[in-house]
Amino acid sequence: MTEHTLAYVLRTIAIIGAIVVGVVAIYQVRNDWKTPGLDIQVSKLLLALMAFGCVIVILSSWGIIGWQTKGY
Amino acid sequence: MAVAAPQHSALAEHVHHAPKSFINRYIFTLDHKIIGLQYMITGSLFFIISGLLAELIRVQLMNSDGRFLSPEHFNELYSVHGSSMVWLVIIPLATGGFGNFVMPLMIGARDVAFPWLNALSFWMFPPAGLILFSSFLVGAPDAGWTEYPPVSLQGPPGTSMWCVAIFLIGISSTLTGINFLVTMLKMRAPGMTFTRMPLFVWAQLATAVLNMVATTALAAALLALFLERTFGIPFYDPSHGGSPVMWQHMFWFYSHPAVYIMILPAFGVISEVLPTFARKPIFGYKMIAFSSIAIALLGFMVWAHHMFTSGMTPWLVLPFMILTFIIAIPTGIKIFSWVATLWGGNIRYSSAMLFAMGFIATFTFGGVTGIFLAAVPADFQEHGTYFVVAHIHYVLFGGSVLGLLSGAYYWYPKMTGRLLNEFWGHVHFWVTFVAFNVTFLPMHWIGLLGMPRRVPVYDPQFTDWNRVASIGSFFLVLGMAIFFINVIWSIKHGKKAGPNPWNARTLEWMTSSPPPYYNFVKVPGVLHAPYEFDQPLPYVGLEPAENVVSGYKAPMPAGSH
Amino acid sequence: MTAASLGHEPHHDDGLALYREVADIRLLGFVLFLISDCILFSSFIFAYLYMRNAAPVWPPTGVGLPDANLAAVNSIVLFGSGATMHFAMENWKHGTEVKFRRWMVATIILGALFLFGQGYEYTHINATWWGSTFGAAFFTLTGMHGFHVFCGIVFLIILLNQTLAGVYNKKQYFGLVAGTLYWHFVDVIWVFLFFLFYVW
Repeated sequence: MTEHTLAYVLRTIAIIGAIVVGVVAIYQVRNDWKTPGLDIQVSKLLLALMAFGCVIVILSSWGIIGWQTKGY
Repeated sequence: MAVAAPQHSALAEHVHHAPKSFINRYIFTLDHKIIGLQYMITGSLFFIISGLLAELIRVQLMNSDGRFLSPEHFNELYSVHGSSMVWLVIIPLATGGFGNFVMPLMIGARDVAFPWLNALSFWMFPPAGLILFSSFLVGAPDAGWTEYPPVSLQGPPGTSMWCVAIFLIGISSTLTGINFLVTMLKMRAPGMTFTRMPLFVWAQLATAVLNMVATTALAAALLALFLERTFGIPFYDPSHGGSPVMWQHMFWFYSHPAVYIMILPAFGVISEVLPTFARKPIFGYKMIAFSSIAIALLGFMVWAHHMFTSGMTPWLVLPFMILTFIIAIPTGIKIFSWVATLWGGNIRYSSAMLFAMGFIATFTFGGVTGIFLAAVPADFQEHGTYFVVAHIHYVLFGGSVLGLLSGAYYWYPKMTGRLLNEFWGHVHFWVTFVAFNVTFLPMHWIGLLGMPRRVPVYDPQFTDWNRVASIGSFFLVLGMAIFFINVIWSIKHGKKAGPNPWNARTLEWMTSSPPPYYNFVKVPGVLHAPYEFDQPLPYVGLEPAENVVSGYKAPMPAGSH
Repeated sequence: MTAASLGHEPHHDDGLALYREVADIRLLGFVLFLISDCILFSSFIFAYLYMRNAAPVWPPTGVGLPDANLAAVNSIVLFGSGATMHFAMENWKHGTEVKFRRWMVATIILGALFLFGQGYEYTHINATWWGSTFGAAFFTLTGMHGFHVFCGIVFLIILLNQTLAGVYNKKQYFGLVAGTLYWHFVDVIWVFLFFLFYVW
């Protein structure tokens, strides 16, 4: 497998994984939106930030942001 | 309406059986009162050692070309003196010592939120001191308590030991901050809303926030310095792409809040002592409370006023100067409130009160010289001179130490059941107050005349005032000796105190002296703030303090499980 | 509120009321600890930003910046472990302990995979810890993070053991809450590190 193909495969895996995990995270935040309790609030914040992280991974792997824009 | 405290607490009814062995009662104790005493004993020991280091400095400086100490030793002395006073004396005494003993009693709690963590925090303290002081054997740190690179990168092995010691006490401080913050937020007696909390508790609340947030920034700076010294990881060395100014940013981002950690508890002591001995409500309770929080928050925004001459990005001096001026406002509000508390009061001149009043004088003076330092053009002249040394000792000795001494005279009866000798307390005060001013006042003008700090020899024109300062410092030692002898003597021979010798109104005085190991037979309900002297006590459900047995002999309170 | 309402009423389920109060206190303490841990990472991130800003050329000569592709997959492995941890907690709260254990094991395995990925990255990147300010910042920050992940894995293994030993039940499981928060926290720190080192 050439280096280019490997990069392509890795990026595809990253994008698909990020979509799955991001959706799960957002879904849980929405489910627990009204639930009270310090632990739930902190969880919601951290899961939302994690979803944001998934967005970063998608954008970076697709070549839209970041200095490693070797094109997708 | 302020946040309500819980109406009923299962935790408050939950009283453990007393530990049985000597070790579990007095050595590896989990009792905040004993841990507080452990901090105070250890901190006092380090105070004595560190003070003697300063005396060696003053002996060297009696002559403009003194040869009492080599320059290398001299550098080590002021570096260890400064480091130990900040990290091994004032911060532990103010938070771990007085905070631990008094704060849980004042909020009507049976202990702090995490007693085991409290003990762990203490037990990191003696090793940290041991590591720092034993660095003299291998070459102690010698770049000042601020250890600026590149000099600190080239320092003797003791500099790395300094990193380890301060890192250790930093972990202790951070854990204490978390512990106290949770305690004050979650374990106040029923009815004690925030605006019914004593001002000492407000002060400890602000201090705990600072402790918790700022100390980890220091840990990062120390870790980086240690890594660079040990493994050559480039953070601060300019020849490898690092930056000495970056150290200063990281160091001062912690160390400026640190000075507020050192002074806020002393502010808290003054706010308790003045109303008690003037028999008048504290003036401006809410202003003092909120200004403590304001000082804590603003304290994070002024660090670069230590760096006006560092060569940092030039335009930064302006916002930091302005913010430093602004932080004088809440401090000034407190000072005016304290003076107004005294005005028209029926003043009893106990030793605690003398130290509190002395504090107002010397701390205000130190605060004013702080304004002189905050003004950037003036700072260019004053930075690195004895003017700064004068300022820091007026606020740290004249402020923190006098404040904590006031607290010592005030709370000693609560801790031991006996009063300190009042005559010798007065002698201690006057010797200390006069000697302190004789020592540090001249440093203002020799600083302005150009004597740099951290120098073992100096221009002969400064000789006379240096001699005056040195002689003054010897009398400071005398004063402190009188105090420590008084402390030790009064344990056995002091007048018996009873629960409330000062007729004060905060909760710690509503139980025996010393308190039973579970603090209160019944945790009381709180109806008002404790400062209205002509009103009945604002508590409900208290067991009369005369009936309460002290210490570990106290029987389990009825109805507890 | 009156003086009369501030009495002490006897409680019959004191065990649970006491646990709830203690768990509440411990939760606040744990969250405050996480905040102070944030400051630790923030300080080193400040150092990285400062050094990067002060450097005449970035990356420093001789340094090869790391490749985002593997790191992206590694990030998803870590974020995925956050999701599996979450499913584990949901199952615990609903009482389905077998599923809880499966998701916990998945979390631990994914966490370990992340560390292996980091190890691969460390051995294949064209930079050393001591060789440049980039190396100083990169290896210190990711190393600290990796250490936190390692401690987190140990924490999760201990928690799993404790559930097998019956320490927790459906109403009293503060240890699991703490573990979940810690694991999510470690996840979020990585979001920032990934952005700072692999994207920006």
